Amino acid sequence: MTTRTLRRWFVVHKWTSLICTLFLLIVCVTGLPLLFSKQIWDTFVGDDDPPYEILPPGTPNASLDVIVEKARALYPGQIITSVNPDDDEPAVLVSMAPSWQALKDDENYPDRHSGHWIKFDARTARVLEQSRPATEPKEPRTWTGIIMSICNRLHVSLFAYLPGRLFLGLMGGVFVASLVSGMVLYGRFMKRLPFGSVRRDRASRLTWLDLHNLLGAATLVWATVVGFTGLVNELQTPLFGLWRVTDVRQILKPYANLPVPSQDHLSSVQAAFDTAARAAPGNEVTGLSFPGASFGSPVHYVLWTRGATPLRARLYTPVLVDARTGELTGAYPMPWYLRFLEISRPLHFGDYGGMPLRILWALLDVVVIGVLVSGLVLWAGKRKIATDARLRALGYDLDDVDDVPALVESTR
Amino acid sequence: MNALPPEIPMPSLPVSTSRHPVAVWPWPITLGLLTIFGLLSALLGQHGVWLALSWAALSIPLIVTVICLIRAWRRPSSKGGLS
Repeated sequence: MTTRTLRRWFVVHKWTSLICTLFLLIVCVTGLPLLFSKQIWDTFVGDDDPPYEILPPGTPNASLDVIVEKARALYPGQIITSVNPDDDEPAVLVSMAPSWQALKDDENYPDRHSGHWIKFDARTARVLEQSRPATEPKEPRTWTGIIMSICNRLHVSLFAYLPGRLFLGLMGGVFVASLVSGMVLYGRFMKRLPFGSVRRDRASRLTWLDLHNLLGAATLVWATVVGFTGLVNELQTPLFGLWRVTDVRQILKPYANLPVPSQDHLSSVQAAFDTAARAAPGNEVTGLSFPGASFGSPVHYVLWTRGATPLRARLYTPVLVDARTGELTGAYPMPWYLRFLEISRPLHFGDYGGMPLRILWALLDVVVIGVLVSGLVLWAGKRKIATDARLRALGYDLDDVDDVPALVESTR
Repeated sequence: MNALPPEIPMPSLPVSTSRHPVAVWPWPITLGLLTIFGLLSALLGQHGVWLALSWAALSIPLIVTVICLIRAWRRPSSKGGLS
């Protein structure tokens, strides 16, 4: 590597790091509580679910049609928007609204929520819990809720919605560039030092540099994976949008202009679940949305199914069942870019290996914060020194035999 | 470990150098491979022994870091490091 190339890598590393460090610090710090959000909620707010009836094991679930009928009877004249069996509790969540139009209008009024939900016991079809009616005063917000919501919104979008997401995605890309350039500099710099050296008997700047190198080398791969999967996650809105305007539009074309049928004349919900399970063999059905839902079809139940094996459990396949006849229209595996997005989620969240993995995630995150802080210290310490002098001060040999021509050239 | 030849070819070093060059990459590559193994074994296995292997593999980079830091701060006159 010539001095000139080294200098270029150094400049790349300096600038990519400077651009993303502040935002990386924000996402690293706010990511910590998000890792443990379930534990934090359980500790400070508590589980407010009502206790479940003790029934003999193997008690069959009630038909979803019974549950849907009960929901309709509770709110006559309203529509059901979705039916979602719970993943790990014997419960079914039924979402309702006065009308599809009311839900659409909500988008223009941030504090209006016309949708509501009812939670049923999946086995007895008894109502367990309901969302708070819009007419009642709002539940007082807890400190836990406020802090977690701030962390979440800062982490995902810096409070700036889609532009914020895309910006943070860009910062993820810059971060990966800074990691690559940092790796190149590491290779050059560590030629004379055994791995893990932290020189404490010389300038404190060298201690910081050695720390930066040690912490960075130890977490390089983890930081690259979490940074890159974070970037992919931030792209989910455009990626889903792309799918919607290509494949989804193509599939729904024959139905796009049909009117939404009245919910009194729709085919059985339970049968739709069974049909979907047969259409996507090996998958479990996780939810159903009613015809008329935004981005859905006016005449189809959309059922979301996912694989049963650990890896495929993150890959969703939508199934369309004609809600007028109950017949299967088709199962539509997602395109490669959405499969990639779905696989990259766990690798960003660290939520796939139990509490020990979350703790390791947190510790690695803290080490990365150490890399960022030491990098900032190094930059702030000697901002005024010219690049060459700085490289020499850092221990690079700029006068290597093979570098002489480049050096001469650059001093002209 | 550092006695191993470097896995990535390095630019030729001047032979007359007074300081001994060391192999740069064995440690970072080992830690990187352990990280990749740890990330994937829990994702693909998700059961029993694969989870435990994942936790073990991902702990090693952290443990190595802590050992290096302890060495450096215990013996302030030396360089520390693993050689």
